[in-house]
Amino acid sequence: MAAPLGQYKMVLFARTTDKEILRGAQNGGIVTALLSYALDTGIIDGAVVAAPSRSKPWRGKFDPWRSEPIVAMTRDQLLSARKTGYNISPNVMMIKEATRSYGLDRVGIVGVPCQIQGVRKAQLYPIGMRGVPDKIALVIGIYCMEVFPYQSIVQIVEDHGGVKMESVEKIEIGKGNFTVVTERGRTIQIPLNETRDLEQPGCHVCLDYAATLADISTGSAGSPAGWSTVFIRTKIGDEVWKRAMQAGLFETKPIGQVEPGLGAVEKLAVEKITRNKKTLEDRDFIGTKGLRNPYITT
Amino acid sequence: MGKVVEISPTTRHEGRSKLVLQVDDEGIITVGNWISVTPVRGLEKAVLGKPMEQVPKLLSRVCGICPVAHALAAVEAIETSIGVEIPADAHTLRVILHCANRLNNHALSNIFTLPDLYIPGTDRKINLFSPEEPMRSIARRIQRIREIAQGITEIAGGEAIHPTNTRIGGMYYNITSRAKQKLTDLAKEAVDIVKTQMDFMIAVLRNFQRRDWTEIGGRQIPIPRNLGYHSEGYLATDSLYGTSSRTSVQSWDPDHLREIRPWNFYMGEVTIDLEDSTYPIGGTTAAGTVVHPKREATNAIPLYNGRPVEVGPRARMALYQGFNEKGTIGQQVARQMEYMTDVHEILNRLDTLNTSGKVLTDPIPPGDGKTLAWATTEPARGTNVHFVRVREGKVADYSMIVPTTWNFPVCSKALSGAPWQLAEVIIRGYDPCVSCATHMIVLDPDKNVVAQNLIR
Repeated sequence: MAAPLGQYKMVLFARTTDKEILRGAQNGGIVTALLSYALDTGIIDGAVVAAPSRSKPWRGKFDPWRSEPIVAMTRDQLLSARKTGYNISPNVMMIKEATRSYGLDRVGIVGVPCQIQGVRKAQLYPIGMRGVPDKIALVIGIYCMEVFPYQSIVQIVEDHGGVKMESVEKIEIGKGNFTVVTERGRTIQIPLNETRDLEQPGCHVCLDYAATLADISTGSAGSPAGWSTVFIRTKIGDEVWKRAMQAGLFETKPIGQVEPGLGAVEKLAVEKITRNKKTLEDRDFIGTKGLRNPYITT
Repeated sequence: MGKVVEISPTTRHEGRSKLVLQVDDEGIITVGNWISVTPVRGLEKAVLGKPMEQVPKLLSRVCGICPVAHALAAVEAIETSIGVEIPADAHTLRVILHCANRLNNHALSNIFTLPDLYIPGTDRKINLFSPEEPMRSIARRIQRIREIAQGITEIAGGEAIHPTNTRIGGMYYNITSRAKQKLTDLAKEAVDIVKTQMDFMIAVLRNFQRRDWTEIGGRQIPIPRNLGYHSEGYLATDSLYGTSSRTSVQSWDPDHLREIRPWNFYMGEVTIDLEDSTYPIGGTTAAGTVVHPKREATNAIPLYNGRPVEVGPRARMALYQGFNEKGTIGQQVARQMEYMTDVHEILNRLDTLNTSGKVLTDPIPPGDGKTLAWATTEPARGTNVHFVRVREGKVADYSMIVPTTWNFPVCSKALSGAPWQLAEVIIRGYDPCVSCATHMIVLDPDKNVVAQNLIR
């Protein structure tokens, strides 16, 4: 197995059969469908997910471009959290609260690779996380190249793109571009090279693309439109996935059948790792304390 | 001619303390000095000038056993000082936290007390670490009570040890209905276990009371009928939670309180001339050692109406529920009887808790610093009083009198009349938490620290 993609038991393309989830999904609706299934069957009591901000309403509703962690305990709450957010949502912050004032015993969590790394570290060294490690029941990772602080998104849209935030209908990052679609149908593409400086600086030292420490990790890379590439990595992930498959929750395609396939995921992973290793080397060169590489990527 | 014996350190309680006892020829205590030798934490000074929001968090660090008591007393005192009323649901959550903490502490006290007691009908002491029955199931039951209590504290307070959910003006978060349901399940599970534990404890305590002797250091020591009797009064400010200077009808009057220094209360320099190497845990201090209780003591001596007073479960039961049994056993029995109060109170409060209710008041004034406010809570070990003055959001004055501080002088008096080998049995009746009770750094007249080893 290729190291940039981490250890995994199985990789495939999948998409949910649940039409309601799929309608509002970013790609194949994998995360929402899995969590919703886990919630229904009691694998988890609730999940920490990134949902549109409730604290800062926008156009009279929740702000879809500002994600905030919530503890979803119903299917409706999960549905409200569909779609990718591109700003920082501190999900790990809520995991302790989920076991406290929310009273959960089996918590699911969704996160980008660095957050999954945090969750796993908390399980190994539960400092300030008393009673939390054994309550983490399902960890779902999302592929991630980088994230933006909310202010950066405002700057990209309003300054680089030249449109008001309120006009934005859709934001997408992919194929080298930061794409903004307005409600009047205008499409603005900003090359990601231009927005590099606006990314969260921590992302430039991250050596994980495909959430290699999660139970199940998923994302759009490599899969045809409307589908997701899914890695089943751990025993827990395998068990949950098998049960979900038996329940007829997903339709799948074997990975070799469709182009671009696994090669595209690996290409992105290698690209991220190579670029960020260079940042690490540069930091080392200028004397900033080098960071330990938590992944074996050689 | 009397002799002096020293037990240092005393065991099976929180903190570090020692007993310096003057005994007569029969080994009966004539003058008992129980002093704290725990190093000073200095938190009352450390919080001066700090933002008021920070202070309850700091003060809960006084001790790892009763952090809830101190965090609650601190927020209540500061709220009284700045004049804030908290929402009803926040108060409910605090009472739940308070009762859970009491439950945990009473169970912990059982662990400390049981090795002194006998299995009824036998001459075998109860060793909780033994894998044999019934010891193993007693130990399991106590640990389950503590687990439940900590679980409740964890959910209602955010953290099992130092609660994070309490804050000035109420609580940070209300709990969800699911969490409320979980708390109710836990408390309902506790009802049966706690009832069994209470009955068991009272049975073995009564059994101890009926015995003529107890074995200590391989010898049979007679148990006096008046073990731990004293002729001082009781102080309790509330039967359950606590009170503050805001309430119109006051259950006590802080103007009658006077705090004296240990050197006005304890004995001066003495030489140890009674040594017993068979006394448990390494024997007593070697003969010839010179000790100086009034200089070594790090606890203050609070007097109420000019006399020491007892605080704790028995004081609460005596003042509010007509409990009238004296002595160490009476004290222990009162403690066990509080088990049921705590667990039923948790259930009652959960019934009234509205999980959608507001738990934080708004706005929170910064405080004018005109009056010295106080608030008390009634945690497991007795009345915990915090005095505070808040000016413009900063703490200008802070002082606390914690349960074991009250109990140090009264327990010292209660030691008289008992065989010196039973002195530790008497102090365990007060369930001491010595760390909280530490207030002094001993200075000589030139302001040099005398007991310097204490603060290193």
